[in-house]
Amino acid sequence: MNICLTVNGKKQEIDLAPGDTLLHLLRRMGYKGVKKGCESGDCGACAVLLDGRVVNSCLVLAAKADGHCVTTVEGLAGQDKVGELHPVQQAFLEQGAVQCGYCSPGMMIAAVDLLAHNPNPTDQEIKEGISGNLCRCTGYVKQVEAIRIAAEKMRKGTDV
Amino acid sequence: MTLNNLREYVRPDRLDMALSLVKKKGRSARVIGGGIDLVRGSSPEIEMLIDLSHLSLSYVRQTDKGIAIGATTTLTEILEAPAVENYLQGVVVEMLHQVGAPPLRNLASMGGTLASAHPWSDVITLFLVLGAQVTLYDGVKEMVPLSDLYASRVLLSPAIITEVLLPAYAKGTAAAFMKFSRTKFDIAILNCACLVLIQNGNCKRARVTAGGTPRLAAPLPEAAEVLLGRKLNQTSIGEAAEVARETTVVRDDLRASGNYRRELVYAGVKRCLTCVSTQLSGASQ
Repeated sequence: MNICLTVNGKKQEIDLAPGDTLLHLLRRMGYKGVKKGCESGDCGACAVLLDGRVVNSCLVLAAKADGHCVTTVEGLAGQDKVGELHPVQQAFLEQGAVQCGYCSPGMMIAAVDLLAHNPNPTDQEIKEGISGNLCRCTGYVKQVEAIRIAAEKMRKGTDV
Repeated sequence: MTLNNLREYVRPDRLDMALSLVKKKGRSARVIGGGIDLVRGSSPEIEMLIDLSHLSLSYVRQTDKGIAIGATTTLTEILEAPAVENYLQGVVVEMLHQVGAPPLRNLASMGGTLASAHPWSDVITLFLVLGAQVTLYDGVKEMVPLSDLYASRVLLSPAIITEVLLPAYAKGTAAAFMKFSRTKFDIAILNCACLVLIQNGNCKRARVTAGGTPRLAAPLPEAAEVLLGRKLNQTSIGEAAEVARETTVVRDDLRASGNYRRELVYAGVKRCLTCVSTQLSGASQ
């Protein structure tokens, strides 16, 4: 079957099998920032934004995304902003909120959704916002700090 | 891919078209809202998926009968709906915050949650206590109590859930929900909910439900009956919790022993009723 999908601002016609998941489709299309983890909706490594809301792409049938917009970690900074980082990505980098890095794309995607709907979250709200993202290396402290700092910068508009 | 034999994915734009496909294809077709359960499980018998997303069933509306929620509305959309925010002191919002994490809530649909009937479902436990009504379409629309749907084990096929109604309640009504789980993201070891209507200082209506026992949520009528005609105080709450502990059918599974669950029922019902009592005494001041 054919679907029309907009990935990181680029509209594309795609041929796929009806049972393909969005995770497999995106990785096949070359968006390797979408990580394959548990494939059961538990770890959040495969998180992407679907029409601006974070979802586990391993749980989304690709056919269901027909006509919708997907943003992967590669597209967080925005269309045509090659080499630039989203404030959340910049804060993760500066705060050292990355160890092995496997959970980072999904964690940043979840953070972007959180800050889009709650620009001034408490630490508890940040923890709830990334509660669907598992990190096996760190203790989540640096990620929470990074998201708090990104929120401050985005509110001030200094990095946008 | 777990849907090895899936051949067709269709998005009908009329409800009668969706139903005729369900009837024609029988068990080889599935109706989907979010589609989460199908992706997670292995379903070799499925050849067609019928996606309801083009049927304009994503809405939360305040009506004179209560809050109407369309079947394809996501849990996040319900959580963020202004109509739900103040419904019975925000009990639905409080419960939904405890269902999985945002990525799951952004996908899971209201209809799918009720149709899947997972025994640990937090939504079903609370909605049973709230007396939710479900609209089924099998050629005509018919509204049935959610409790009847599960009690009679009416198969959803060949009917389609189109809407859920959370009924409006008189002043003096309060409800509470409690979930016990290893982590917030995890599914419930046990959950419970209570609803109480106080009139002239005494309990006129009460409902108590426990779920994840590990069976699907079920009412505990004996526990609710303890409260009727009495003041909601420490004594009556304690007695109701005791009766709930004794009458809940529990068993062991990988998450907890039946005995542990029995104690959780006691603690959960007691806390829910105490919470309800606090809400009602606060409202009357």
